[in-house]
Amino acid sequence: MSAHIDPASAPDRAGSAVAGRTPELPWLVRAVNTSVLVLFLCLVALAVLWPVVHMVAAAFTPGQSISNMPVVPFTEGLTTEHFVHVFTQTQYPRWFLNTFLIAVMTTAGTVLFASMGAYVLSRFTLPFKQSFLMSLLILNVFPSFVGMVAIYVVLLRIGGLDQLWGLVLVYLAGNLPYTTWMVKSYLDNIPRSLDEAARLDGASSFRIYRSIILPVARPILVFLTITSFTLPWMDFIFPKMVLRSPEKQTIALGLMSFVSDKHNFFTNFAAGALVVAIPFIIFFVLTQKMLVSSLAGSAVKE
Amino acid sequence: MTAAQAAVSPRETAAPPDERQVLRRSMAFKGLAHLTLLGQRSKGAAFAAVEIVALASLPLIVRKVTELVTLGSPMPEIPVRFRPNSLFMLIDGITVLAALGVFVLLYAVSVASARRIAREMTVLGSRESSVRRSPFADLANRAFPLVGLAPTFLLIMFFVVVPLVFSALVAFTNYSSPSNIPPGATIDWVGFENFQRLFGGSAAGTSALARVFGWTIVWALLATGTCYFGGMVMAVVMQNSSLRITPFFRAVFILPYAIPGVVSLLVWRNLLNGAFGTVNRTLEAMHLISDPIPWLSDPWLAKFVVVAINLWCGFPYFMLLVTGTMTSISQDIVEAAKIDGANSFQIFRRIQAPIILYQTMPLIIMSFAANINNFGAIFFLSGGDPSVSDSVTTGAGGTDIMVSWIYKLTVDLQQYQNASVLAIMIFLIIAPFAIFNFRRTKSFKEGEL
Repeated sequence: MSAHIDPASAPDRAGSAVAGRTPELPWLVRAVNTSVLVLFLCLVALAVLWPVVHMVAAAFTPGQSISNMPVVPFTEGLTTEHFVHVFTQTQYPRWFLNTFLIAVMTTAGTVLFASMGAYVLSRFTLPFKQSFLMSLLILNVFPSFVGMVAIYVVLLRIGGLDQLWGLVLVYLAGNLPYTTWMVKSYLDNIPRSLDEAARLDGASSFRIYRSIILPVARPILVFLTITSFTLPWMDFIFPKMVLRSPEKQTIALGLMSFVSDKHNFFTNFAAGALVVAIPFIIFFVLTQKMLVSSLAGSAVKE
Repeated sequence: MTAAQAAVSPRETAAPPDERQVLRRSMAFKGLAHLTLLGQRSKGAAFAAVEIVALASLPLIVRKVTELVTLGSPMPEIPVRFRPNSLFMLIDGITVLAALGVFVLLYAVSVASARRIAREMTVLGSRESSVRRSPFADLANRAFPLVGLAPTFLLIMFFVVVPLVFSALVAFTNYSSPSNIPPGATIDWVGFENFQRLFGGSAAGTSALARVFGWTIVWALLATGTCYFGGMVMAVVMQNSSLRITPFFRAVFILPYAIPGVVSLLVWRNLLNGAFGTVNRTLEAMHLISDPIPWLSDPWLAKFVVVAINLWCGFPYFMLLVTGTMTSISQDIVEAAKIDGANSFQIFRRIQAPIILYQTMPLIIMSFAANINNFGAIFFLSGGDPSVSDSVTTGAGGTDIMVSWIYKLTVDLQQYQNASVLAIMIFLIIAPFAIFNFRRTKSFKEGEL
């Protein structure tokens, strides 16, 4: 890669300092710089890729536990038996469906309730509003599983144990403090003249919410959809507590059971994990630009 | 507003109601003012129904609150399933108090609503203004703040606040295995006994608490610092690199962020296994080591490993964040600095870094708070292990942070009272950060709240 240097800059190196600009570095120094840069990037890329390659290799390598896996990936044969096993001999498709349903319900609820609550908090004067907003932020920093005994009993009381909707309620309650806050901050930055004009025209609050607030809040709601949809796929504590029957398990519980302390089916785990991870990876690489601007947006806004 | 609506209002020209009377009646019984003075039958009936239900369940409320205070008395002579269950008493008591809080809030809303309507009627001299609409129109308009906020409020109340109050209260009880687990036995209030024992009573408990607390802070600082610094370095390098294959590297570096955390942590856990993990076998095959390295079974090495693996998982987030912030910095400043003769390191050091740091500060603080609670990074990688000298009695391993210790105390050891003391400590550490971040926000500074 050291060859990739702007050829025009090399003869230019004597004259540029005179022009008051940054002095151009000698050709040799730039070549060394580029080599060091490439070496550095390659080393980091190696560290990032090494476990990923081993995981992918394990999914296709015959054998069972991590101790059977070759030191150099893909050198001991290829097989798809682990995928066949995971899909036919375990309840993996069922876990996948359960997790998908939970994720969809959580996302729908989060987006609906957070946008309604945020609209109210952003546009109406309410008693105790400031304390409510403050407590939303404080509640957000608390890990929700510290109250898991009480959550268990509350779910027991309303018949939500071993039910997917019980878990959805727990996730919703956990999501709402932060997401409501986030959408509210977003709406605060949108001029009120839009909805005030609609109100003068006689539109009801619900109509303003539906035909003005929802469309303008679209970017933040899309971001919310992504983040709350990804959350349930890998949560472990609450599914373990709430869901008991084998046909109600989620992906994370199922994958964990492959590599528990009792046995090590690392290859099956890798195959199952790969099936979940690939859509995620494609999705993240595709939405990279939007994620960057959303992340930066949430930084700049404060 | 329409003629039809005006026609159904027989007392249209009647004198507006006396505001003080409205206030008195609305405070005497919920919805009374709406029903008698303001001509709002449906709304008044709804309010009144809530009050009637509340009054009807008054005996229940009193019983539940009494039980919350007493937590039942032990009755070893009757079968287990008929004994008073202190756990349910505790949680039901808190739930009833929360419901009572919602009721008081609704009461305030109904009084406020009555006063507002009365004032409107006084000012406008007629009930036409907004009062005589169908209840459904009212639900979509005036009541929208109530309807829109209710799901969020109720869910947070009963699935976040009640559980958190419960776990705070448990710190003042003796709820723990083996002798105080319902339904076989009762839980009792013990005051500050748990705090005294953990902060200066039993030697093992106190030293474990000091060790875990110290490691939690060190962990959160290191985890946030390494990820932020690593992400910043990568972002700056990528931004300034003119290589053609930079986009390829960027896609690679985003991988740890894209792969679900549990998956990558469990993969690392297996790769780093001391006896048969791929890392050790690779190093042996390369003749770099002769004996396996105890990555996750040596207390100090394990601490280093969890921070390092957390860096692997966490740097892409900050890389994306810093990249986003850097692109939003105005190019004019950078150009101006170049014209003044600054080199690219000076530009970074004096211009870009301060701006990035300032803009990402709230997220660094959030990340620090999140790392204090980063259960997954510890639990899935090391499980809090390896054991240290006091692990047998306290349950806290060498890499356990406060939250993973809470999990072990709750799920494995059923030492709920100690877990709650830890939860209160976490709250005291993190709440100031949350409040600090809140006070920085625009809406707070502009005082519009």
